[in-house]
Amino acid sequence: MNLVPGSEGGFAALHAWAIATAAVVAAGCALVGTLLVVRRMSLLGDAISHAVLPGIVLAVLAGGRPGGFAVLGGAVVAAVVTVLLVQALRSEGGVAEDAGTGVVFTTLFAVGVVLASALARRIDLDPSCVLYGVLEFVPFDTVAVAGLEVPRAFLTGVVVLGLVGAGLAATWKDQVFAAFDAEAARAVGVPVAAVTTGLLAATALVTVASFEAVGAILVVAMLVVPAAAAELLVRRLAWMAVVAVVLGVAAACLGYMAAYRLDTSAAGMIAVVLGLEYAVAAIVAPEDGVLARGAARARLAWRVRCEDLLARLWRADEARAGPPAATGPGDWAAAAWLRVSGRIVRDGDRWGLTAPGRAEAETVVRSHRLWEAWLGRHVELPLDHLHPPAEWIEHHLGADVRRRIEAEVGGEESDPHGRAIPRERGRPNA
Amino acid sequence: MSAAAPALELHDVTVAYGRRPVLWNVDLSVDAPGLFGIIGPNGAGKSTLLKAALGLVPLAGGTVRFFGRPLAEVRGRIGYVPQRETVDWDFPVSVLDVVLMGTYGGLGWFRRPGAAQREAARAALDRVGLADLAGRQIGRLSGGQQQRVFLARALVQAADLYLLDEPLAGVDARSQDRIFRVLDELRSEGRLVVVVHHDLRTAAEWFDGVALVDMRLVAAGPVAAVLTPENLHRTYAGHLDVLDELGRAVERGGRTS
Repeated sequence: MNLVPGSEGGFAALHAWAIATAAVVAAGCALVGTLLVVRRMSLLGDAISHAVLPGIVLAVLAGGRPGGFAVLGGAVVAAVVTVLLVQALRSEGGVAEDAGTGVVFTTLFAVGVVLASALARRIDLDPSCVLYGVLEFVPFDTVAVAGLEVPRAFLTGVVVLGLVGAGLAATWKDQVFAAFDAEAARAVGVPVAAVTTGLLAATALVTVASFEAVGAILVVAMLVVPAAAAELLVRRLAWMAVVAVVLGVAAACLGYMAAYRLDTSAAGMIAVVLGLEYAVAAIVAPEDGVLARGAARARLAWRVRCEDLLARLWRADEARAGPPAATGPGDWAAAAWLRVSGRIVRDGDRWGLTAPGRAEAETVVRSHRLWEAWLGRHVELPLDHLHPPAEWIEHHLGADVRRRIEAEVGGEESDPHGRAIPRERGRPNA
Repeated sequence: MSAAAPALELHDVTVAYGRRPVLWNVDLSVDAPGLFGIIGPNGAGKSTLLKAALGLVPLAGGTVRFFGRPLAEVRGRIGYVPQRETVDWDFPVSVLDVVLMGTYGGLGWFRRPGAAQREAARAALDRVGLADLAGRQIGRLSGGQQQRVFLARALVQAADLYLLDEPLAGVDARSQDRIFRVLDELRSEGRLVVVVHHDLRTAAEWFDGVALVDMRLVAAGPVAAVLTPENLHRTYAGHLDVLDELGRAVERGGRTS
């Protein structure tokens, strides 16, 4: 991107204003986006951000300034019209909501493009600015506030953020109730329709306030991506909003600076950074993240390997056979760990179970044989079908369910193959 | 509670989805206290009946009164427990958050639930046996625990009339016992509990009164008088194809065959 060169200090101030503008609109979008995402209304955010275009064009035609409050009003009206049309298509025309949304927002957006192009000479509105934003030029369109020249887009962003923030603070608990369970909310008297309309108006406001910074197409990224990433990271809605705002603001700052370094589109770079933030969140998310799931799988695989080895040693003892042969490096690693943790001992070239190791092995074998007994009783299976499921389930049965199964199979002494079921630990052997 | 007005009274209620009637001309009057079951086959309009009473689906005709008054005047005296499957249980809120929602109807704009509401919410959780799970994310609960959270959210309203939609569907035995015990207590406290229920076997044992519904009211009253072989046959075997066909004809603005 190319900025008009100026003095060193003025140059930095221009960048600072552009970053501040991007950050303010990103914060507003992330806040509203949090509620859109948990209400599964992300697509509606997309629709509104496009469908407001004719409202903006008409407001400009009526004498409003791009980024001014008349234009914001026009956009909100267009947003409400969009939602009403989608609802009307569904209730009157029987059109599915997603198809109806697709029809309405593309049509309105197209009308906006046609209007803007046809009226391009009569109005001061460049369609490409609306589509892609002109963050780099935001600092040059200023208004004086208390003696300070402030970019108009920044001022709009701050006012909208204040409005939306105050509105959401006032209605937060009702927003949450309506989002979680609209019918129960209506039953206790929460004005769900008004709350929802308020959210849609807020969506229109933050969208329009973002147009000059990032444009109609990429504003969807600001609405949806920070909230979607935050949903992966935290489990409480209020924290989700906070994290979404932090991610949105961070992407605005980092994206702008990266775009300056790489001499490319600031709006595009901000959206790319948002995408990267999401990717990182998907990897490091504490519960559903790639790393967390991989670690959980690895922990389970390791536990299964150790338990299987203990159970094999125990069964070899039971059969009075020699110790089983190790089947590979995984076994050697498990054996090493079991020795270090005091569950098996090395006796010459034999492995033997220690007391704690024997107790653990018995629990595994007991789980295995109880499950075979339970399956044999409840599911019509040939004997040779009982072992494979038990081999898997033995690692997942806890003491409580084992006792319940035992009560159900009537304290049988042996599994369907005729082998003794070891007693629960802590009780005398029969 | 006034002695004259029944806790719940539906007069000639007809409900339509779009233009298609799904529930025809229901007259029903239930007094407090009591445990009252609404019973019928799948698609009979049992849930629709509750939602229509609560104004959640519009009435195509008829009137609904609670304690002799219109809904808007007595909303705070009515607790509603929707079907568990109607919400997204991955929603990022805790158990206590959900129960607190029951207090929102009585709070104004800007007001957050305070110490009194938290106290009430914890007491409601204790009553359904979930006091130690208050901070847990709702997605981590079992189906039966989720249902008990929904019940606690209604209990916190301290309502006089409770409307529950299939509160015992797909819950474990322990949750079922607990839920039923709470409903029984509510009855002993003089409240009316209306339950949409699918299991005929338990209906006679649990409820004082029942209504048999299949697109229309088949019969309503004390269990012994209503659950007769003849009424059950009219409810379950005699599915009214005429009403079904007529509904479709009304919807498309045509005639039946």
